[in-house]
Amino acid sequence: MTRTGSGLLLRVYMGVFFLYMFLPLGIMVAAGFNAYSPPSVTVWKGFTLHWFVELWQDDRMWSGLANSVLIEGAVIALALPMGLAGALLLGRLGTRAAGVLYTAMVSPLLTPGIILGISTVIFWRGLEVSAGLFTAILAQTTFIASYTMLMFMARLQRQDTALEEAALDLGATPFQAFRRITLPFLRPTILTAAVIAFLQSFENYNTTMFAIGGAHTLVTEIGSRMRFGLSPAINALGILFILATIVFALAWGALKARERRAAEHAT
Amino acid sequence: MTRLRRSFGAPMAALIVLLTGTWVLGLIAAPQVIMIEQSLWKMDRPAGADELSVQIDRLYNRLDMLMLDRAAARTLRTPSATEAKLAQIDAERAALAAEIADLETAERTPVKTWTLSNYAQMGQAHLRIFAKTILASLAVTAIAFAVCYPIAFAIAKLEPPRRAALIMLALVIPYAINELLRVFAWQMILNYGGPLNAALGLVGIGPVPFLESGSGVFVAMVYAYILFMVFPLYNVLETLDTNQIEAARDLGAKTWQIHRRIVLPHARPGIAVGCIMTFMLSAGSYSVPYIMTRGTAAPWFAQLVYNRFFQASDWNVGAAYAVSLLAVCTGFVFLMMRLLKVRLRDIAK
Repeated sequence: MTRTGSGLLLRVYMGVFFLYMFLPLGIMVAAGFNAYSPPSVTVWKGFTLHWFVELWQDDRMWSGLANSVLIEGAVIALALPMGLAGALLLGRLGTRAAGVLYTAMVSPLLTPGIILGISTVIFWRGLEVSAGLFTAILAQTTFIASYTMLMFMARLQRQDTALEEAALDLGATPFQAFRRITLPFLRPTILTAAVIAFLQSFENYNTTMFAIGGAHTLVTEIGSRMRFGLSPAINALGILFILATIVFALAWGALKARERRAAEHAT
Repeated sequence: MTRLRRSFGAPMAALIVLLTGTWVLGLIAAPQVIMIEQSLWKMDRPAGADELSVQIDRLYNRLDMLMLDRAAARTLRTPSATEAKLAQIDAERAALAAEIADLETAERTPVKTWTLSNYAQMGQAHLRIFAKTILASLAVTAIAFAVCYPIAFAIAKLEPPRRAALIMLALVIPYAINELLRVFAWQMILNYGGPLNAALGLVGIGPVPFLESGSGVFVAMVYAYILFMVFPLYNVLETLDTNQIEAARDLGAKTWQIHRRIVLPHARPGIAVGCIMTFMLSAGSYSVPYIMTRGTAAPWFAQLVYNRFFQASDWNVGAAYAVSLLAVCTGFVFLMMRLLKVRLRDIAK
């Protein structure tokens, strides 16, 4: 096969792949605007926004959203300091100890989410604490702190330690040097880590489902509604999720582009 | 430790150790240890419960005998002798009753017995589901790799960088959209009255019960987790120096030789991450079978685990199931690291 021939083949293949990725989402979006229940695209009864109204009036969705926000706040408050502490500690340990600690800290990312959820519930059940929002927060923190730790670690590796040493030589206390030099250097990472922690917590299903007991978040509620797919209000919510994701992806792309430009300026 | 204190001062060093310790020991290690511990015992009838019950029977007989003695004592000649005898018998009866009560609680209170039997509880049927789940997850992983490798390579090495960035940004959308929505889209497509069955109907096939037969689970799993393969592969292939490929081609290497000798070896860390993520997500997926079968098809392993805990309320057996799944996933991580000769540090980036 000639090189242009295989290039064309790859292009076609990529087109099919993109169709495969986006067509199912398109079908789900279309059913959200169809005046027909249960959600369908094969029977078209005309355009409607009725399902958005139905979604708006759904109390369980709102209470789920409130729980999601509560959990997110707590997870961010726990996972950011823990991840940062882990990354800072890692940089000050000997090779072997750092290796062990690192393995322990990334292990939640390699563990199935349902295991993280159920082991947290088992542990706290032994202490007479039953499953609920509290255990969901802890189970999510277990692996979200791993993400924040990796992000802080990557940033800290790029830090110029000379600045910190200069501050110490000039008589700053270690805490002052951290607060005035390291912390400002970490600020962009703190922000992106908070965003990632927010998204991971909000979107999480498997871990939360096993850890939350009788309570519900927006996403676990969506899960139980989807099982029987009775009302296109779920599709309406899906459309809102997709819009939010597009906005997020564009913001992320813009941020990356700005970082790249800044890096080009620096060099 | 001294380095830590010198860098941050004692109070902050203490805080750092406290926070990391709480996370690593309290949130990561302790729950896993307790879960494994829970899987290794069950509440059982105490050892020797049978002998205990024989002994209790014997004591009851003795109690009956005492009652006869007591009746006999009433016919004694002197009242004082009767009094003394009755008091003696009553004291003996009270002691016996207390002993019986003790033995009965010992017989009835279940004791914690260390055992591997929780693991053996997984009978034929559940073992088959366990095997099905693992095999399906391996298949999902293999399909994801086969589909994504050319995609990742094409984007990373054949597109101009700016276009590649745009394509990846477009892929972030289906990647970042909630997993449940991706699954739900396929539930609609494969449904009895869904578009796929409508299309098949046009050519005179079906309707095919995709959801009810359980095959829908597999289709949706591939779709839901395939992008976890694209991103790690793209990330490593992007760092591959294109000159290496050009040089190999100039020296007369064929396309498959270039991939086998240059691209694939370079992509090892990405392959490891992609395979581990895809396998782990599939094997531990509760959402996909939950939504795709609607309870009509046979359950998947994550559902069995869930039911052990929250429906059968058998926490010891549930823990054993969870530990089995954890063991398989950990084994897969080690296998991948060994096969692809990568270290954990290369993986988690």
